[in-house]
Amino acid sequence: MTRLALPRAARSPQVFYPVGVFVLVIALWQGAVLCFHVPEYLLPAPFAAAKEVDLALVGHAWTTFVEALLGFTLANVLAFLTAAAFVYFPPLESSLFPFAIALKTTPLVAVAPLLVIWLGTGLWSKVAASVLICFFPTLVNSVKGLKSVEPEALEFFATRGASSFETFLRLRLPSSLPYVISGLKISTSLAVVGAIVGEFVGASQGLGYVVLVSSYHMETPTMFAAVACSAAIGLAMFWGVAALERRLVFWQKVDPS
Amino acid sequence: MFASQSSAPAFDSESATPFISLTDCQLTLGQTRVLDGLSLRVNEGEILAIVGPSGCGKSSLLRLLLGLVPSDGTGQLQRATGALGAGIAFQKPVLMPWLTARSNVELGLRLGADRVKSASSRRERVESALALVGLSDFSEHYPHQLSGGMQQRVAIARALSAEPRLLLLDEPFGALDELTRAQMNKELLRIWESAGTRLSTVVLVTHSITEAVLLANRVAVLSTRPARVVLEIPVDLPKQRAAQYDDLDQLPAFHKAVSAIRKAVWEA
Repeated sequence: MTRLALPRAARSPQVFYPVGVFVLVIALWQGAVLCFHVPEYLLPAPFAAAKEVDLALVGHAWTTFVEALLGFTLANVLAFLTAAAFVYFPPLESSLFPFAIALKTTPLVAVAPLLVIWLGTGLWSKVAASVLICFFPTLVNSVKGLKSVEPEALEFFATRGASSFETFLRLRLPSSLPYVISGLKISTSLAVVGAIVGEFVGASQGLGYVVLVSSYHMETPTMFAAVACSAAIGLAMFWGVAALERRLVFWQKVDPS
Repeated sequence: MFASQSSAPAFDSESATPFISLTDCQLTLGQTRVLDGLSLRVNEGEILAIVGPSGCGKSSLLRLLLGLVPSDGTGQLQRATGALGAGIAFQKPVLMPWLTARSNVELGLRLGADRVKSASSRRERVESALALVGLSDFSEHYPHQLSGGMQQRVAIARALSAEPRLLLLDEPFGALDELTRAQMNKELLRIWESAGTRLSTVVLVTHSITEAVLLANRVAVLSTRPARVVLEIPVDLPKQRAAQYDDLDQLPAFHKAVSAIRKAVWEA
């Protein structure tokens, strides 16, 4: 008997099952559209949408990816530094945290036009939108992580005469990693949301722009292709962070969420 | 060895050198008066056990001895130079999960102004501390790969690696099962008795009266909060006792000490 010639990783349930579900859903969808003669402007068949993925769309996806990744990186660096400042200067936390919450609760869609006025229709208004939406989850998780140190561990460091920099580097920073990384995971999907919202408001490229323009022309297959691309970007970034997590936080059972 | 068994000299606390002495100390944490007029001597060369009702401030007393919390200013706290840089171990092992057993033990040697700069002498100390707790074969294991008892032994190795003369133990075996606990007790005695370490003095906070008597040369009983010392008694068991640990509870002196302490704890 010959076994399926799949690499070992592809045969593991974590890979094989979701891929199986994906193939099944696509097949059912394609079949349903063909059987019931659903008009293309309502619901295109997956293969019709896939045909719309061309070099131009990949270019738009690249634009969105760069915006999201820049926003993600900037926001998380800023959020972690802010969290560290909060933990070391508690008055700063009590005075600034309400504003961080206000920032979080202000709908990004409402702010995006302002960002375009300030930063133009180019890259940076989208990066800024992405930063705004990514900042909060990492801030909250980093503060929690940096405070998650056990008091006995701090006492041990104190008995060894550790400086506060040593305590930060060798105790607080590594202790915070599991929390920081779950913040990063939430940020990955939000980063793409921020970029696309920015593109909706004013842009000449990017997936948000493609969705907007194709909706004007009822080019539903193109819309589907663009939406699928944005999902793929989010997924790729999430997997990147998950891979980082397995390397950095190897002592914890990896949370699949 | 067994010659000393019947009439071992009681530990003479009066003539011993005081290592740390607290006189009439008071400690308030937040709104709570934790210690009130507490006087206690820790003598060089002894194992002193501190027992008392739950939540009476035993751990706070230990932190005061270490200088981790300042006293209220009343009373006196004197520490001999040898008592500085004490090793410490807690009820939880508090190991760094991202470091191997070896690196966890080494961590204490890499911190502070008097860190050990040479990597080879760090390695030497780490190896001997791990050997002392019997974990040489597990030096490359991460904490999550070790049992609770082994993690606690790593924590004790970490405390010993800095070669302290004074070791402070805050219920270090409280979370362990009874068999592991008995084994750890024996190992602690063996380490304290072994000539290979600089360790001379141990202060042990414990909930267990029998553990206190089995390990200590002297036991101090604290009252309920605010705590003061209600009883200090010497334990009339052989000073070197690791080898006969399993038979100690057969001796009349053991029962005498246990019942005296139990009575004091009830009345505290």
